[in-house]
Amino acid sequence: MTAQMAILANRLETIARKMAHTLHRTGRSGLINTARDLSCCIITARHELLTEAESLPSHVLVGPNLMSEWMQRFHPELRRGDAFLHNSPYHGNSHAADHTILVPVIDDGGVHRFTVFAKAHQADIGNSRPTSYSGAARDVYDEGALIFPAVQAQRDYRDLDDIVRMCRLRIRVPDQWWGDYQALVGAARIGERELMALAAEVGWDTLEQHSRQWFDYSERLMEAAIRRLPSGRVTRASTHDPFPGTPPEGVTIKVTVEVDAAAGRISVDLRDNPDCLPNGMNVTEANASSAAMIGIFSSLGAVVPRNAGSYRRIKIHLRENCCVGIPRHPASCSLSTTNLASKVGNATQTAIAELAAGFGLAESGTIVPASMAVISGRDPRYGDAPFINSLFLMHTGGPGAPEADAWLTTVHIGDLGLCYLDSIELDELRYPIRVEARGIRTDTEGAGKFRGAPAGFCEYGPVGSTLEAWFASDGTVNAPLGIRGGGDGGRSAQFKRDRDGALTAVPPCGGVILEPGETLLAICCGGGGYGDPLQRPAASVAEDVAEGWISPERATGTYGVVLTGGSVVDEGSTQQKRHDLGSPSRPPGSPAG
Amino acid sequence: MAATEPGGQERLPNFIGHSTTGGLANLPEPGPNTVGNVAPADNQGARIDGASMLRLACDVGGTFTDLVTASEGELRLFKAATTPQDPVDGVLAAVRIAAEDAGLDERAFLALVDVFVHATTRGVNAILTGDTARTAFLTTEGHRDILLLREGGRLDPYDNRQIFPRPYVPRALTFEVPERIGAAGEIVRPLDEDAFVRIVQQLATAKVEAIGVCLLWSIANPAHELRIGELLAAHLPGVPVTLSHQLNPILREYRRASATCIDASLKPLMGQYLRGLASRLRDAGFAGRLLMVTSQGGVISAEEAAEAPIRALNSGPAMAPVAGLHVAAEDAASGDAIIADTGGTSFDVSLVRGGRIPWTSETWLGARFTGHMTGFPSADVKSIGAGGGSIVHLDSAGLLHVGPASAGSDPGPACYGRGGTDPTVTDCALILGILDADNFLGGRVRLDLERARASLTPVAQTLGLRVEDAALAALDILTQNMLGAIEEITVKQGIDPSRTVLIAGGGAAGFNGVAIGRRLGCAATLFPEGGAALSTNGAMLSDLVFSDARVHYIRSDAADSGAAAKILEALQASATTFLTASGAAQSRVDYWVEARYPQQTWEIEVSLPWPNTEGAVDLASLVSAFHAAHKSLYAVSDPASPVEFITWRVRAAAQLGGLEKARFRFPPSKPAEARRRVFLPKSGWTDVPLYRLDAVPSDPPASGPAVIESSFTTILVPAGGQARRLPSGTIEVRS
Repeated sequence: MTAQMAILANRLETIARKMAHTLHRTGRSGLINTARDLSCCIITARHELLTEAESLPSHVLVGPNLMSEWMQRFHPELRRGDAFLHNSPYHGNSHAADHTILVPVIDDGGVHRFTVFAKAHQADIGNSRPTSYSGAARDVYDEGALIFPAVQAQRDYRDLDDIVRMCRLRIRVPDQWWGDYQALVGAARIGERELMALAAEVGWDTLEQHSRQWFDYSERLMEAAIRRLPSGRVTRASTHDPFPGTPPEGVTIKVTVEVDAAAGRISVDLRDNPDCLPNGMNVTEANASSAAMIGIFSSLGAVVPRNAGSYRRIKIHLRENCCVGIPRHPASCSLSTTNLASKVGNATQTAIAELAAGFGLAESGTIVPASMAVISGRDPRYGDAPFINSLFLMHTGGPGAPEADAWLTTVHIGDLGLCYLDSIELDELRYPIRVEARGIRTDTEGAGKFRGAPAGFCEYGPVGSTLEAWFASDGTVNAPLGIRGGGDGGRSAQFKRDRDGALTAVPPCGGVILEPGETLLAICCGGGGYGDPLQRPAASVAEDVAEGWISPERATGTYGVVLTGGSVVDEGSTQQKRHDLGSPSRPPGSPAG
Repeated sequence: MAATEPGGQERLPNFIGHSTTGGLANLPEPGPNTVGNVAPADNQGARIDGASMLRLACDVGGTFTDLVTASEGELRLFKAATTPQDPVDGVLAAVRIAAEDAGLDERAFLALVDVFVHATTRGVNAILTGDTARTAFLTTEGHRDILLLREGGRLDPYDNRQIFPRPYVPRALTFEVPERIGAAGEIVRPLDEDAFVRIVQQLATAKVEAIGVCLLWSIANPAHELRIGELLAAHLPGVPVTLSHQLNPILREYRRASATCIDASLKPLMGQYLRGLASRLRDAGFAGRLLMVTSQGGVISAEEAAEAPIRALNSGPAMAPVAGLHVAAEDAASGDAIIADTGGTSFDVSLVRGGRIPWTSETWLGARFTGHMTGFPSADVKSIGAGGGSIVHLDSAGLLHVGPASAGSDPGPACYGRGGTDPTVTDCALILGILDADNFLGGRVRLDLERARASLTPVAQTLGLRVEDAALAALDILTQNMLGAIEEITVKQGIDPSRTVLIAGGGAAGFNGVAIGRRLGCAATLFPEGGAALSTNGAMLSDLVFSDARVHYIRSDAADSGAAAKILEALQASATTFLTASGAAQSRVDYWVEARYPQQTWEIEVSLPWPNTEGAVDLASLVSAFHAAHKSLYAVSDPASPVEFITWRVRAAAQLGGLEKARFRFPPSKPAEARRRVFLPKSGWTDVPLYRLDAVPSDPPASGPAVIESSFTTILVPAGGQARRLPSGTIEVRS
């Protein structure tokens, strides 16, 4: 890599970062200004992803390219000062709740050079119910989202107020949406401004040339990374829990990964899967491709830039009208970024782990648990003003990896740990709720040589008003799977606690209403373990016990580590115990716990 | 202190100083603002006059303890070896050298000192080496995992070899207190004192040495934290406690808890250190004010620092940009500079942008997301392990590395002859002829070339290189490492180095400073006159600072400008009290308010003209200033929207003053030779001109290759470089 390429790559990353920073700092909803459920990137005029610093994988790996293409198809003559609002699942976007602003960057001669892209998950998009996760919606009409297929939002840097008026009449808490819309426009305009400044300094042709070199360089890195894997073909399945609109046994997603090491190529086939479902679980073209890509890029054991160059070594096979493929209008894709997308990513990374020791990952936790519910109601502290937001109160879905324990605060495959966790104080200040407790659950980690994250929990309820909470919690039945002998991660669960303290389980997909004095106890999934727990260093197991991640009983029963005095490893007994647990009576590859 | 150890007299002295014995050449005319003219070169009046007051600044680094004295507008620099076991020994050794230089005994010298400014990395080093107190964390029941979960977030999400960070205080030492305060400060659940006393017993059993207390919403109602403080004082007397609402009353429980626990964990160590320093200085005759440098580049009293040691956490590195700001303004008329401070152990990079030192409001101890958040703003400084003491070594694959390990002050580089056998950067500079074995630190330390060569020989043999070529390769790697650190904060922040100057400070800056400036494409590399102690100079120039804040919510569409005026009057009163107590002749007071649009959670700062003749706050112009600031920062504004004003702040800076134009006075080392034999890339051994730092010509400049030398630093000007001395005494090198 030449010095100039490094500098320009950094400069472009800086621009994407600055865009994201702008969006994060100026957004009005907690999703943006607290959880950082947002992404910013730069796309070439040929609709290739160039730079995606610190962006959510499910938002940017595939999608920005398709959206840029649709923008140009619908608006062949792009002009400086244009901006387009795009959230259509049928035209390259993720779920409709991810509003995106695309701004074409036009040089002084009127030539379209790049497109800057800013996307953020909205708390509300005008759905029929107060949630952006409409799992039970039969179709897009039942879902109720306003759909904007690359609709012009600004001309000559001024808002086209028609769209703003429409949204204000249809989206809950319109001032919040308006603020978020402005934050998106601001982020994109910052990106445009910085790119123009960079081009003024180095020239558009240099940037164009840099893009080509950067793609070639990234392709070489990708090729080298794939060549380190063994060749082979593996099919893995991962099952989603039963939800409204699924068969009673849930939905099993099959993923076939094929590595051709000699050629330095990898392919993922998602075609052998069910047709679109009559609910909100269908995964868009962008999300299905991104999920498979996430599984690949997380599994390589080397960090390779994600862009159109490295993508030349990847082939994703999709099918029209498939629930993890290319859904046709009016199939609802309300849960496109989360539920079945997690299955695709998980099956991809476990397939690679199965194929190649030391690569891949165990399964991540799956979502959307009640700790991440969309909450809404009226706030008695501010004259009963309406509020709506998606909480990020607890998520611990990190999978065990070949050389390290899980990254604890991972939401799922779609964020890989990038999203932030809510501050309890900030949530209580902004919404009339109280968070009674939050933490990790002992003995729920995905056991393994490298452990998956333990399940987490939080409990919250309204203060002085009624609270509505909507979620779509997978993982209540099907746990995140361990791999290469690793155990499964803890399952999710959700309960309503009444005023007397009694707990009642509530359905995983839908909404609940809480009155003052009632709370919601939300448990989120952990992550699967990687490798045989009997191979975990005994000292690490002892530390896990001392720190309360696991009990002494689990240390002995699952990890074969015997402790004396609660914390000191009894080497002799541990050796014996591990020998006994590892004896042939235990089926090979099965989790020990 | 080594000199008093058995046999210590036979060894090299562990302190290095200089005495004023001769003249200085090329003194510029004093500027109009110079406080006290510099005495002519042959005038013994340069010695300290019994009537004048002295100010001292002292920075304890990993290798050297730097002391700068200021008197009558004249600065002098002294260096002693850092004494890690008891750093106060090194401080006092430096003081003795300075006293000797002034022709006074230590007591008489210290009696003249009115201000002693101190900076140390002791706190941060203790954290990095896990040497802090055994600390317990007390928090609201149900919220044990505040320090474990943090605020989420991650860098490099595809790198799954990253280790999720351990909590600053382990879960095993975290205790949940039955109590709860609500968002409005209401008591939801009273503090269960009986249960708390049982927790106290557990704390005693666990033998904790410090306690951090952070309860939810203590910032809205501190009653429970205060009561816990009382109970702990009663039941566990002598165990230091930090209460979060007192230390850092900010919203967001993780960052407040993190600040609280870091602070508590440092209290035993830093309290003992600062008390020891103060009492030993007083015993030695010091009767002035002892001040500590803060992470934000100001100074506070040592008592305040002992009460809240987290404020002085990163005190050394925070000073270099303060000095850099002055150098950039004076010598480059530039608002943008990169400041690179190369000590013996670490290399610290900071920036000046638009004439200001950029602050980071989210300071991480260690890397973002894997370190610990300090909860306080600080000067933005990036540090790596690279310096004169960095060890040159090969890895298992035979690849050459430099650092991050350092030979430190003990044993030091191999050429010091104090038992060190690992080759260091200093050894390489000696091998290459950049350093003069007989004239290192003014000739006080004789360097041993043979030991240096012997230490590097195994590396050279493995690489199949001559020793000189291996030394060149090591310096090249050092340069690479330093460039990487600089790019971390420049290129990645979108700063174009070609529009900046590089200010190279620190004793080891001269080996490759010009090479770094060239590789970055900087307009020039500047070596300030006192650059060998850049951060100590910064300490000398820094202001006594005070800040205060009031959280008071005012919305522009339901505005009460009377309330705003009342808040500002209160802030003004507290700033005035501070300034009066400081006794400073010059001061500066700034007011600002943090504001946002409704539902935003991050504020931006809008400065407030205050006090004004009307005695009232002009909210309308504040609102338009906010819209304008939002537009400029974020490309959009929402003029139809109301604005929320949240936190009202004052910052007062009392200028210790008068030293902005002060000049360094250096002794001439030994009579300068005209030439030095240096091993250069491509040309090998070459005779090059040698200049004394104070005798570098201005016009025409000196052409490289050349070596510039003073008692404290040696600068290699490579071929093609043009070096000249600026009126301020700074050496400027252009390529």
